[in-house]
Amino acid sequence: MYQYEGEDVFVIDGHVHWWDASKDNIKHEGGEQFIRCFYDYHTGFTPEERQWSLEEYRKYDEERMINDMFGDGHADMGILQPTYLNEFYTEGFNTIDRCAELADEHPSRFIVNGRFDPREGEAGLMELERQAEKFDVRGVKVYTAEWRGDSKGWRLDSDESFEYLEKCVELGIKNVHAHKGPTIRPLNRDAFDVADIDDAATSFPELNFVVEHVGLPRLDDFCWIAAQEPNVYGGLAVAAPLAESRPRKFGEVMGELLYWLGEDRILFGSDYALWEPEWLIEAVMEAEMTPEQREEYGVELDLEVKKKIMGENAAELYDIDIERQKEILRDDGVSEEFGLAEQYGESTPADD
Amino acid sequence: MSETHRISPESIRKRLESVTDPELDRSVVELEYIEGIEIDGGSVEVAFTLPTAWCSPAFAWMMMVDARDALAAHPAISTATVRLRDHMHAREINEGVNAREPFGSAFEDADGDIESVRRELDEKARVARQYRAVSALLEGGLTPDQIVELVRGDVETGDDRATIRVDDTLRVCVDAAPIERYLEKATGLVCDSTDRLFLTPEGETIPPEAFETVHKRGRLATTNMGSQGHICENLGDARIGGPTVT
Repeated sequence: MYQYEGEDVFVIDGHVHWWDASKDNIKHEGGEQFIRCFYDYHTGFTPEERQWSLEEYRKYDEERMINDMFGDGHADMGILQPTYLNEFYTEGFNTIDRCAELADEHPSRFIVNGRFDPREGEAGLMELERQAEKFDVRGVKVYTAEWRGDSKGWRLDSDESFEYLEKCVELGIKNVHAHKGPTIRPLNRDAFDVADIDDAATSFPELNFVVEHVGLPRLDDFCWIAAQEPNVYGGLAVAAPLAESRPRKFGEVMGELLYWLGEDRILFGSDYALWEPEWLIEAVMEAEMTPEQREEYGVELDLEVKKKIMGENAAELYDIDIERQKEILRDDGVSEEFGLAEQYGESTPADD
Repeated sequence: MSETHRISPESIRKRLESVTDPELDRSVVELEYIEGIEIDGGSVEVAFTLPTAWCSPAFAWMMMVDARDALAAHPAISTATVRLRDHMHAREINEGVNAREPFGSAFEDADGDIESVRRELDEKARVARQYRAVSALLEGGLTPDQIVELVRGDVETGDDRATIRVDDTLRVCVDAAPIERYLEKATGLVCDSTDRLFLTPEGETIPPEAFETVHKRGRLATTNMGSQGHICENLGDARIGGPTVT
């Protein structure tokens, strides 16, 4: 658990991956372009001494991920967000079944999300049912710029998508995480346009829509939609690294998000292994808005707000009772391996 | 021959100052996208490098077309060639732009035409530039009610000062730069002297009670461009400093 000025900050990393972009798994040149593009984002924002080699980056094992997230990484839990890209990778880039292997080993540490693609029709709806039954998913990740056959993307506000969103409601899946914003080669920039969130969020008030990457480079469109749709949230992956390299700009982005969305609808995410949570969490926790920014935006980025962003807001969306969760984490394998038990408090003696 | 008519790297840079990265609304000169300038008599070739090899082909195309046209307008240049380097679509873009072909023939499977992309980004630039212009007027002492009432004919720009006629008796002078920059991007909507000077992002008259929200949306547009600018810069630094991965 992260400690800030003597206070505990419970961190739920809202956006993590366990991917395989090894050469053996790549079946289309898009797969190679995609991982190299990720790697550009990695090297562009990671402090030099913390950068991975491209070969390390293609595929990392369970041991490394557990250490990077919980051993060194300050995170207490992580939400695994699948990204399939079946046209590029033989076994998929980061599938629910692969993520579930990790979660099965560490059930107290991970939440596994599902994924759907409305272009898969009836078979896709059955697959979503399978995910809900087998993995008890409460959220899904959607990737609207994913290729499928001749199609270079899909929209969340299409009839086909609505059928899937109805299915989510029926299955008790309530959080829809959409990658919106950053272009990833070779995917189409406009297929990541944030506009389709608007109608989907209005039509499904019982669902929460978490816009990953806060729509950048469409932060303006995103904030304007979120200001009007109370069930739209912002995920900080890609915006968070600005805290390290451009702290002043990060303060401005946080000022906008707090002004338009408020402190209850912003979620931290490292996007691991895009970036490692260790330095990223430190940078965000240390980030401050300047006095001019506080005055301009009329908001505060204080410890209470940061605690919400770092974990409490995600806990709310995923029905996690943080105090109860700490008791579970105290006795789990990860705490034992890294000697973390103490930070989750003394075990309460039995009431006999 | 006057300074502007002589071909020199400086005069070429000056010409290219008006060419912007459409997503960031900043000059390609300031962003240091210009990689090299070659002058051979009346022929000029300018080379560009963008922050990443995978920058949107549509944006790259727009910048190259604008650069080509800015160079062609130079009175002393007889042949102008633009050269995009280290881009995944450098070949299509260089061939298409220099042959003056439309985007659609260089990129046959592109969806959506380039003009609609340009319009969308121009609109965002207008909103961001309006924020700076309105901020200058607020600093100059105008009230929101006065600002929403202004029409195009109330503004006169001189060398470096702009004069705003607030009413029959009151005139206010402010720095002309933010006003002129705004007017450049508002030309499609603010043409006649009776047209309202400032508009909502949707292009409509601003009701006085909506002034605050419209102004804050303008601030948001500038924050968006600024943060995206830093993302591009970081990606560009990694490309220049680190190993080439394309």
